[in-house]
Amino acid sequence: MSKAPKVMSLQPRPWGFLGSFSAMASPCELLMAVDDEHIARQMLNIAYDEAKRIEHKFSRFIEGNVVWQLNHAQGETTPIDAETVHLFKFAQQCFQLSESAFDISACPLIALWRFDGSHGVPLQTEIDATMLKVGFARIALTDNSVCMPADMSVDFGGIGKEYAVDRTAQTLVNRWPNHSVLVNFGGDIACPIIKSDGWQVGIENPHKLDNAAALLTIRQGALATSGNTRRYIEVDGKRYGHIINPKTGYPIELAPLSVTVLAPNCVMAGMLATMSMLKGPDAEDFLQQQGVDFKVFR
Amino acid sequence: MQLTSKQSIASALALASCSLLSQQANAAEPIPANDDWKVDAAIMYYGEQDRVQATEAIGNVQKAFGDTSLLDMKIVVDSLTGASASGAVAQAESQTFTRPSGDGQYTVAAGDTPLDDTFHDTRVQLSANWQEVINQDWTGNIGVYGSKEFDYLSMGINGGLERSFNKNNTTLSLSGAFTNDVVDPVGGRPVAMSEMVFRGNYDNDADYQAAFDQTRLAGDDTKQTSDIMFGVTQIINRNWLMQANYGLSSVSGYMTDPYKILSEVDINGVTQSYRYENRPDSRLKHSVFLLTKGALDSGVVDFSYRYSTDDWEIQSHTLETHYRYNFSPTMYAQLHLRYYQQQAAEFYQPFLMSGDAIPEYASADYRIGDMTAYTIGLKFGQHLSGGHELSYRIEYYQQNPENNGTEIPGQLQNYDLFPSVKAIVAQVSYSF
Repeated sequence: MSKAPKVMSLQPRPWGFLGSFSAMASPCELLMAVDDEHIARQMLNIAYDEAKRIEHKFSRFIEGNVVWQLNHAQGETTPIDAETVHLFKFAQQCFQLSESAFDISACPLIALWRFDGSHGVPLQTEIDATMLKVGFARIALTDNSVCMPADMSVDFGGIGKEYAVDRTAQTLVNRWPNHSVLVNFGGDIACPIIKSDGWQVGIENPHKLDNAAALLTIRQGALATSGNTRRYIEVDGKRYGHIINPKTGYPIELAPLSVTVLAPNCVMAGMLATMSMLKGPDAEDFLQQQGVDFKVFR
Repeated sequence: MQLTSKQSIASALALASCSLLSQQANAAEPIPANDDWKVDAAIMYYGEQDRVQATEAIGNVQKAFGDTSLLDMKIVVDSLTGASASGAVAQAESQTFTRPSGDGQYTVAAGDTPLDDTFHDTRVQLSANWQEVINQDWTGNIGVYGSKEFDYLSMGINGGLERSFNKNNTTLSLSGAFTNDVVDPVGGRPVAMSEMVFRGNYDNDADYQAAFDQTRLAGDDTKQTSDIMFGVTQIINRNWLMQANYGLSSVSGYMTDPYKILSEVDINGVTQSYRYENRPDSRLKHSVFLLTKGALDSGVVDFSYRYSTDDWEIQSHTLETHYRYNFSPTMYAQLHLRYYQQQAAEFYQPFLMSGDAIPEYASADYRIGDMTAYTIGLKFGQHLSGGHELSYRIEYYQQNPENNGTEIPGQLQNYDLFPSVKAIVAQVSYSF
């Protein structure tokens, strides 16, 4: 664990306490319908510790952690712990369910499409070469180890935040089954215990960032958003979003600006949102067929 | 029913996500869920230099019933010993006083502030409060209170309502309380402004007792207190809130301190006799309280001001601040500063002048005289595992009584008629 001091704030609110901190490159909040500051502080500590733990363990950008070791294994078999195995297996199922569209090994392709405005569309030869470094099917996964080709790498960025939200929510429920809490890590949200009057959650308007386009009342459940809103390039009048189809090497065409999905847990909500983005023009159809509540902006 | 391939994605994801999350739940250590009970226990010591010493044990239990109901029960047991100022003035010669019970005497050395050292008592106080969140906007509470010490019984009820507005950013509250007290002083209630009698001035016990009885009223007496308070709490922004309260308190009944006396002195400042004090039997008090409280990066700070005035003409101003600093998520320290200033009651006088007409009301109790007081306190708290908290508090308190403008005759000028009272408060608390 990091020795840096915890930077958290806990503020009283008429309905309880608001805890906030920053983790996983996102503002994180905990809304607690609790009148005891002591419990609120313990809850905030748990959320902070869990968010930081998952960030430190699974961030692609932290040297020496499990993901870094895998990405630097140079083709060697790497032993992994049970939690990492479970995340890999979940990623594998998502890969299969999405017919290879959701792929945690797609990061070299994403890196090729740099959305900082300074680069145009990559050359087809570059895309072809990079495609060779991508493909979950080439990863050998066992119950305690991973082996992947030396030029491949993985990134849990598409799952990690939602996973941290659910894990935190679950820990809080186990300990305080009677206190309503809303866990919000950068817009990925879970509220595991029914709140009779619900929590008011604003959904960002992708046409007008930092403004709420819709106000949702969540009594229980989870919510996750996937979007193209802040990262895209325009070349010759054509907008390329940051969601890349690993099967073609190109950004998905006609993908929504953002998709918000309500589901029983945050991991599921996040994955359905991402998968619907990968469906491009068929995002709404896909979500309709899943029988979940959703909000799509185009 | 045959699921379509697209429908099966949601169910397969639900299954996959549950398997991902549930394995973690099993791996997590089981933590006992005892959150709806909260117990605080504390031991407090209060000691005035050379005067009253008190030891207090405090137990508080809170039990939540769901998210809407909260029961709070408290017991306080304290034991007081030591001496308190009787109201008489120091003299160049030793002084002898009749004990409040009439049974026996005590002597105070020359030059010393007369203290009544018979003061010792044990008090038990019980209270219970029920709080109920009625709906999103309304919260109510009711409570009962009782305390008993040797010569005093107090019983009360209270209740309040809170209403939230403006997306819960504004809260209005109205609360009221009624208390009935029964005062049954040792040796009976003194006759107002009567003169203290001494065994030495009578030939036999029977004559003395008859004279003493002349200074006493039979039976106990009562006092009723009604309080109403109106409050507004307003959230200013993410970090600050403001609170304002107005309180009205009406007391009627026996408010005289049966153990306090006044010296009656001549123009040389020499005591001629002692008289038992007398206070009016009604008092109406208004108070205004303003508080602002804010969250800082690593702590909490509050400032408050209270103004209070009543028809005894006691006016007071209190300035107070707490600053809490979190060294780490498990350790904090809190600084407490308080300044208090009070203007004397209209019937306060440090002594009576012999020859003057005996006033209807008079008291030399420094606690209702001109006074300033301050408190400096420090508290350390430590969060332990399992949600327990241990805290230590130490405070220094000093009262500085002042002359309300009375001219000091003769020998009294040689003595400090308004001595400071210095006290230490120490407390250890444990919450679990």
